[in-house]
Amino acid sequence: MTASERAITADADSSSRWPGVVDSALVTLCLGSVLVVVAGGLIQVSFGSYSMSALQAWQAVFNPEVVFDPEAWQAFVFGTELPEMNRRSLIVWNIRLPRVFVAVLVGMSLAVSGAIFQAVTRNELASPFILGVSSGAGFAVLLTLVVFSSLSPLLPLVAALGGTIAFLLVYVIAWKNGTSPVRLVLAGVIVNMVFQSLQRGLFFFADDLGTVQSAIAWITGSLTGVGWEQFRIALVPTLVAVVFALAAARQLNVLLLGEQTASSLGMQVERIRFLLSGVAILAASAAIAVAGVVGFFGLVIPHVVRLVVGGDYRRLLLGCVFLGPALMVVADVGARLALSPVQIPVGVVTGLIGGPYFLYLMRKQQNIGEL
Amino acid sequence: MHDNGRFERTDPTGESSEPAPESNGATGRGTADRRKSAVELRGEKLAIGYPTTDEPVVECEAVLLPAGEVTALVGPNGSGKSTLLKAMADQLTPEAGRVRIDGEAVQSIESKELAQRLGLLSQEHDSPASLTVEELVYHGRYPHRGFFESVGADDRRAVERAIELAGVADLRNETMQNLSGGQKQLAWIAMVLAQETDVLLLDEPTTYLDLHHQLRVMEVIRTLNREQGVTVGVVLHDIGQAARFADNLVAMKDGEPYDWGPPRDVVTEELLSDVFRVDASVDGDAPTGPHIAPHRAIDED
Repeated sequence: MTASERAITADADSSSRWPGVVDSALVTLCLGSVLVVVAGGLIQVSFGSYSMSALQAWQAVFNPEVVFDPEAWQAFVFGTELPEMNRRSLIVWNIRLPRVFVAVLVGMSLAVSGAIFQAVTRNELASPFILGVSSGAGFAVLLTLVVFSSLSPLLPLVAALGGTIAFLLVYVIAWKNGTSPVRLVLAGVIVNMVFQSLQRGLFFFADDLGTVQSAIAWITGSLTGVGWEQFRIALVPTLVAVVFALAAARQLNVLLLGEQTASSLGMQVERIRFLLSGVAILAASAAIAVAGVVGFFGLVIPHVVRLVVGGDYRRLLLGCVFLGPALMVVADVGARLALSPVQIPVGVVTGLIGGPYFLYLMRKQQNIGEL
Repeated sequence: MHDNGRFERTDPTGESSEPAPESNGATGRGTADRRKSAVELRGEKLAIGYPTTDEPVVECEAVLLPAGEVTALVGPNGSGKSTLLKAMADQLTPEAGRVRIDGEAVQSIESKELAQRLGLLSQEHDSPASLTVEELVYHGRYPHRGFFESVGADDRRAVERAIELAGVADLRNETMQNLSGGQKQLAWIAMVLAQETDVLLLDEPTTYLDLHHQLRVMEVIRTLNREQGVTVGVVLHDIGQAARFADNLVAMKDGEPYDWGPPRDVVTEELLSDVFRVDASVDGDAPTGPHIAPHRAIDED
């Protein structure tokens, strides 16, 4: 294609409703991600303590009596009574598959949340946990397990609540005639430090190994034992956060032009920033409530997507919605099957694989880290 | 201290510094037709400071950007010209006094509506690396679009016009990371042009640019003012440039306007020594506006 032809195509694109949002890189990324989710899911359902062959497991996944049974879906999504089905279908659909679906939701919400925080704080090292959420949630979990053990059934709620309180605390600390990205990040560091100390202190009061292991699983992030119940907990907040984030992508783009420019374009910067942070916290809380604090993930995924589709948040967020689930499903396959029969927390895998991969990207790409 | 009597003598509207009935800035120079729909921006009894300062940084009885004219704010570093501009754009709330656009107080106008009428190009802005010029210019339509609204025909027309006016058509698909400083600045100017405001304020738009791009920027501003009757307020570092391009100068000294009026009246050897602390000779009869030949810096007392 010559330069002039390219210019003409670009002109044609720009006259469409959303000038050039969807391009071939984005489409490839999304399709590739869907394939990875499907492949990872099929591997995940093929293994487990109840022995069946991979073929039998896949037959159960595509069993039309379950897939096209509205009553079954009602049971999964709304928690009504499960209709009768054969034993293999029951195990695949009720034990192995929900874990994949939960991984999809967790990956999606963490990736979107990280992308939002990177724009709101205009900091390329921002993650969903930069504004105190992880340490607040971790502290709340330990407090529940060690001191208020009667509240254990409400652990997901407590974790999300702890994260939200820490976030609000960060905002109060950062506020002085308004906030700024730097003040927010610094306040986040302060709150993280205090809550992490409290969290570590609480470990000394735990009386048995089980409590400690359970607490560690929470603060490392784990999908072990999640089922449809966790899917139901995370579904609505994730969907709400994702839809809102996609709709607000343009606000994020304008925020990236700098506060002064955003403000002189008529944006009420403080209000929009708080609102968008709230959406990102909602997404992070949904993930924390079902999987605990999965580290590293929300930092890396937006950068990987940015390398493929560029920094425009309309494309970036869409890419995160697809790539986040794909990589979370893959990481969870590793967490569940790598050292079988021992399951390791998925947070350990995301750190072990994500860290070196990020290093590789850093070495290879000059401009990684630019928003 | 500035000379109050002299200040009022050069007021182009002939109005005193008290809040006056709306005269819509008619200048009586036979150019009223072009400026019929033009809008004036006026500051009254302003005291402007920052949260970190006790005393106001700028105190100003009256400042007027006459409708449909280009007014340049000049003065040495730290004289308060950028602060004054920010307050005029409602980006800084004055401790006292008010700013009126077309007679209406800017603080009382909803922020998006104000941004449809008054544009500001700040000195500091970030250019995301992979953003294209066209995408940047589309952001200028922000105040005209609702939260969830998509691009409409009006937006496209405004963006095309802005791109053409700023002369960045050949750069529209370039990303910001591939542009020179001067090209970037023209792209940013195209963005504020797409805002389609009645009043346009620019904070040092030519600083750090090479001579070619300085002139390009000033010519775009001039064209916009001549063809669309947009009222322009521009902070400039270079008083010679200001004298060539502006209809009026406001010379700032220590947070107060020192003098105000057409360049030929304002730019004098006395002003250069009092305000800029420069020993210079001024040729007031040069055809392109007063010509300044600086000789040496005057020592501080």
